[in-house]
Amino acid sequence: MNKNVVIAGYARSPFQFAKKGDLIKVRPDDLVAAAVKGLVERSGVNPQDIEDLILGCAFPEGEQGLNMARLVVMLAGLPRSVGGTTVNRFCGSSMQAIHMAAGAIQLGAGDVFVCAGVESMTRVPMMGFNPLPNPALAEAEAGAYMPMGTTAENLARKYQITRKAQEEFAVESHRKAAAAQEAGKLDAEIVPIETPGGSVDKDGCIRPDTSLEALAELRPAFDEEGTVTAGTSSPLTDGASATLVASEDYAKANGLTIMARLKSVAIAGCDPTIMGIGPVGATRKALKRAGVELSDIDIIESNEAFAVQTMSVAQELGMDLSKVNLDGGAIALGHPLGATGARITGKAAALLQREGKELALSTQCIGGGQGIATILEAA
Amino acid sequence: MEIKKAAVIGAGVMGSGIAAHIANAGIPVTLLDIVPEGAKDRYAIAKGALARMAKADPAPFMSRAAQKLVTPGNVEDHLETLGDCDWIVEAVIENPKIKHELYARLETITKPDAVVSSNTSTIPLSILTEGRSQAFKSSFMVTHFFNPPRYMRLLEVVAGPDTDAAKLAAIRSFADIRLGKGVVDAKDTPGFIANRIGTYWIQAGLNEAFDLGLSVEEADAIASRPMGVPKTGIFGLMDLVGIDLMPHIAKSLLATLPEKDAYRDIFRVEPFIERMIADGYIGRKGKGGFYRLNREGGGRVKESVNLKTGEWATSEKIKVEAAEAGRQGLRAVVDHDSKPGQYAWRMLSQTLSYAASLVPEIADSIVDVDEAMKLGYAWKYGPFELIDQLGVDYFADRLMAEGRPVPDLLERARGRSFYRVEAGALQYLGVDGTYADVVRPDGVLLLADIKRRSDPLLKNGSAALWDIGNGVTCFEFTAKMNTLDDQVMSLLAQALDLTGRSYKAMVVYNEGTNFSVGANLGLAMFAANIALWAQVEATVKGGQDTYKALKYAPFPVVSAPSGMALGGGCEILLHSDAVQAHAETYCGLVEVGVGVIPAWGGSKEMLLRAFANKRRPGGPMPPVAQVFETIGLAKVAKSAQQAKDLLYLRPDDGVTMNRDRLLADAKARALAMVEAGYQPPAPPEEIRLPGPSARTGFNLAVKDLAAQGKATPHDIVVSDALAEVLSGGAHDITEPLGEDDLLTLERQAFMDLIKTSGTLDRIEHMLETGKPLRN
Repeated sequence: MNKNVVIAGYARSPFQFAKKGDLIKVRPDDLVAAAVKGLVERSGVNPQDIEDLILGCAFPEGEQGLNMARLVVMLAGLPRSVGGTTVNRFCGSSMQAIHMAAGAIQLGAGDVFVCAGVESMTRVPMMGFNPLPNPALAEAEAGAYMPMGTTAENLARKYQITRKAQEEFAVESHRKAAAAQEAGKLDAEIVPIETPGGSVDKDGCIRPDTSLEALAELRPAFDEEGTVTAGTSSPLTDGASATLVASEDYAKANGLTIMARLKSVAIAGCDPTIMGIGPVGATRKALKRAGVELSDIDIIESNEAFAVQTMSVAQELGMDLSKVNLDGGAIALGHPLGATGARITGKAAALLQREGKELALSTQCIGGGQGIATILEAA
Repeated sequence: MEIKKAAVIGAGVMGSGIAAHIANAGIPVTLLDIVPEGAKDRYAIAKGALARMAKADPAPFMSRAAQKLVTPGNVEDHLETLGDCDWIVEAVIENPKIKHELYARLETITKPDAVVSSNTSTIPLSILTEGRSQAFKSSFMVTHFFNPPRYMRLLEVVAGPDTDAAKLAAIRSFADIRLGKGVVDAKDTPGFIANRIGTYWIQAGLNEAFDLGLSVEEADAIASRPMGVPKTGIFGLMDLVGIDLMPHIAKSLLATLPEKDAYRDIFRVEPFIERMIADGYIGRKGKGGFYRLNREGGGRVKESVNLKTGEWATSEKIKVEAAEAGRQGLRAVVDHDSKPGQYAWRMLSQTLSYAASLVPEIADSIVDVDEAMKLGYAWKYGPFELIDQLGVDYFADRLMAEGRPVPDLLERARGRSFYRVEAGALQYLGVDGTYADVVRPDGVLLLADIKRRSDPLLKNGSAALWDIGNGVTCFEFTAKMNTLDDQVMSLLAQALDLTGRSYKAMVVYNEGTNFSVGANLGLAMFAANIALWAQVEATVKGGQDTYKALKYAPFPVVSAPSGMALGGGCEILLHSDAVQAHAETYCGLVEVGVGVIPAWGGSKEMLLRAFANKRRPGGPMPPVAQVFETIGLAKVAKSAQQAKDLLYLRPDDGVTMNRDRLLADAKARALAMVEAGYQPPAPPEEIRLPGPSARTGFNLAVKDLAAQGKATPHDIVVSDALAEVLSGGAHDITEPLGEDDLLTLERQAFMDLIKTSGTLDRIEHMLETGKPLRN
């Protein structure tokens, strides 16, 4: 890269269960505006310098509709001079936002960007309010509109991953997240959110008492003959996240905290009927572009859309699971679609700092059959 | 005095049920109970009752809105807040001391024009008011509800010598109009009317079953349909109310009944039943009673206990000849030369002569006694109507021949009957030995009365049209279970024509248990089996045309359903200019259960309603998806209020709480529409449906459900046909559709489905078992 790009800030809202959690009454635009505001304040960036707010969202309609990013600029009290664009790559939306900012910086099209993401799965349902699939495509391409749960079942069959193994993975995710929460390791990244019911400053999806026994009781959620249950899937979640992406020169000149430097990024398509395997192709490309091996990576944030999905990726790539999701993953923390990419990339940067390591990878799968990956290095 | 705010003290089964039902009438209610000893939550009992009721089935509440009207509290902290209540119902434990203490506190709290009433079933009013002020006594009465209060229509009201007449009238009127109760004036005698006779009947029924050595099935086959009693019979009823409750009721009755009361002669404690109670066989709330469901091995096998050996065996459906003889009338049952026949006579003769001996002791007229048993015990006929069925002389003669006493009232009725029809009016025999008209209260109009005094304007095998006065006609379904067929449609077409020519308005109403269970499936099955497709399609088209004619008739049509209004019975409501529904109306477009879709304009009307709903979310899909879900899941509303949520009723459709007031309310509604210068509705604006994309979306969703095991293979076929209609078929979203386009889509989809074997299997299964087939 001819111009270094760094992560200079990361913040997020608490993640809460959709439809029953503490954020159900918060509009998604307000939710992400609060996270952006918190990020800008904490990072110390001069708001006048921000080129653009790039906002990821998987179902940009209703309260997430219009060009939400521009409205969030106003809601967050940023100067009128800051632009706003809303991007959609489903679950990869806000990691895509970071990639777009990095591209713009390298193009000389700005020095500092806010890259955020949001999803209120309470207020805008998955599939949106008006699902109108193309009849001919639905006929021709089985994976085009396939429910995510079905793709997870396909992976379970393909990689021969048992229900029991998935449940062990889920229990571990909750254990790690609960331990991190208990130790206060999540506090620094969370921006408290004001709601009609009071201020919310803790994640709400983590269930420290999750046990193998309790998980074994659940009925399969997507296929009555299948192995994937609600307990081994990420929950429907309300949440927002934001990162500050800047050129290294700008960050240094303005005294920002450099958390990590972007080393490479990648997108890769895959068979939509096993969309969960998407991170494999994207990670391989990103590793190649970075000129490193997977074994060189110290910290991995691999999104947990489903336990079986993360496990299939790990199996295919030969990932060392002890490096993956140190503070728990989406099964425990939640997966507000558009917000997840910025969370795991910001988190990977924060973990590099905290753990004093060299290289980190953040990667996730994307409905419709894609993967996205980012490799970071200590700055 | 108007009742705007109420309270119920005592959150047991009765108290909480009464509170729920007052809330069903739209009145805010405070529900109080004691603070349990050492409780963390001082509201625990009332809150617990509300939580239990929110989940109960059958539901005590008619709507979520009603649930929100009940505020829980406790008598320690909140009694003082009852100062602004207009009516306070006491439903605490049957202990005079506790009630006295409560009344003493209430006396200082209630406002002067408030009414305090007790739901006691055993304590005389005279004892309840002991030691109270004159003012309290004038505000006090007994209001005795039956369990469950929402569904059992009887309310026995007992006034004391000091009860204020205006207050009594206010409560009677509120209970009648707002709570929908059949209010019966009872006297201050033990057990009032219904439980006095009902307890005797149960005891007689048990005694004779044990003495004659009948099985519980034999006994219940007699003490049910043949005499118009619910199919639970006596043993099944005991299981329902709780076998352990009976000794308590008997004890309290025996403590207060007159010394020579006949109940004392027949009362006995069956050792067999004592053992059952000791073993925990106390009925459905325990591990079973005389019947139980054996769930061993994952099944559900109904078993009954052998009254001689105490052993359990599978309860088979049996044919009892004496019960079958009931087709020839009640006398054939009691005359039947068999043990069950003897059982019928012994049980019935004791009960009916007991009832006859109690007038005027417990009620002023036989009508009150009959009403009480019909509304409180769900008997189809009251004791005096049953005597008329046997024949007064037959009954008296047979009693005499057996050397048994003949009650005075029965003796006086000799050579006559207790009821008669004179010049088209129903009359009853008074205790003075003369007949008087059965007078209906103001605002009560019964088709049964009209039918007694007039001939139908039109009539065929499945329907009739009546003149109900003031220029209004009443269209009545008359087939078995009020099913709908070509004959109904042809008479409806004639009725619309005649009403248009000679009358001002029409009401669609009948007095069956159910308004209509929908189309006659037997006929559809028959036609389909011999592939008379043209005829099937003509029936569909005929229904569409007739319902459309009803909708656009030049006069108002008001439908007035009660009970089930399913399928075609729901579709006629959808086409009516207004609906005046009994609160206990259960509407649903349930066609998918038999593998078809609503095709008499029901799918069309639901779409039009959903599109007209201003509060729906934007975009082309939400209204279509809402209708797809309602029809696709065959949702049935469990009250008229709920029917509004499901769009089966409009927000401004009327709800009548009292079944007996339904026809008068519907007629008044129709006349008000005439008065307001009725104009038939303009055809709806054309709607734009989302087309094949939406159909694809629905199909993807249903396939998901099938993968999850929540939909069957034929569900996929039926849902696809429904999706095709609701999404507008092959029409693109840019092509607006009118009413007739939608009717064509309905008809085509219906015809496609009726030709599938999956649908025919569903219809056949429904006809044979009464339950939907999951194929």
